[in-house]
Amino acid sequence: MTHTHTPLSAHIARCLTLNTEPFLSCDDCFDLVDRYAEALLSDPDYDLPAIRTHLAGCAACAEEARSLISFVAEQDGLDPVPALRRLEDDPT
Amino acid sequence: MSLVGEDDRVPAELEQAAPDPADWVEALSIPGPRQDHAMSRLHEMMLRASRHQVRRMRSSLAGVGNERLEEIANQAADEAMMTLLTKLHTFEGRSRFTTWAYKFAILQCATEVRRFAWLHREVELVELTPVGQRDPSPASYAEAADLASAVSAAIDVALTPHQRKITIALLIDDVPIDVLAQRLGTNRNALYKTVHDARTRLRAHLIASGHLADSHPQAGTS
Repeated sequence: MTHTHTPLSAHIARCLTLNTEPFLSCDDCFDLVDRYAEALLSDPDYDLPAIRTHLAGCAACAEEARSLISFVAEQDGLDPVPALRRLEDDPT
Repeated sequence: MSLVGEDDRVPAELEQAAPDPADWVEALSIPGPRQDHAMSRLHEMMLRASRHQVRRMRSSLAGVGNERLEEIANQAADEAMMTLLTKLHTFEGRSRFTTWAYKFAILQCATEVRRFAWLHREVELVELTPVGQRDPSPASYAEAADLASAVSAAIDVALTPHQRKITIALLIDDVPIDVLAQRLGTNRNALYKTVHDARTRLRAHLIASGHLADSHPQAGTS
């Protein structure tokens, strides 16, 4: 199919070319996200590259992970910001 | 936690400001007053988490009244609780039970909000790369324009028609993955895998054409 190659925005171009290896499915992410949230809240330097890569490439899982971190932090009287900031780090 | 038959009454302390069960799985598994209490506490937790999620996504539900929002939260809490109970045996204690439970409510509620927000919106699957928006900064545009043009062209030649449609819908048109899954009769996993494969193809094409630097696989996958 032929179409006009008007440039996409830089943000979308980056999103389209994101390296999402190692592959992790959304179900795998769901299985891990509770442990990951607790680990990040207790140690913002904690890392699990596979899930962080998935969250960078899946907007829905990312929203739910951020929400879980925020909610658990709220329930426990913790500051969620360091953990949330960690999610924004480039996983590559 | 006592076993069924040991005490048929809900202990007095449970009827007031009762603490959460020490062993949620046992409390939820064994019929009796303690199970009823645990179910009630669990539902409260799920509803709190669902309301939290509705608040987070409130902006996508402009014009929806508080009563309807509360219905969405309640419905999500109910459905999440049913899902959790069917998976209770899979809880391994790697996180606290409460955190494990909250994720079910958050997933269910986020999915319902996305679907509700798109209830009356058409999802159009197109193979045409839409006209993109240029970055406001001339400098950043200049840096990115070559890659962005190459990506746009690569979508045409490197992807299958199915990958192209799914990728454009999810990553360019911002159709929520749950909404697209529902409309296509598939699931989030399958769509994410399609996008993952599409990204792999796009990267390979752009690396071969010199538009993207080759990067080593990310270390530390555990």
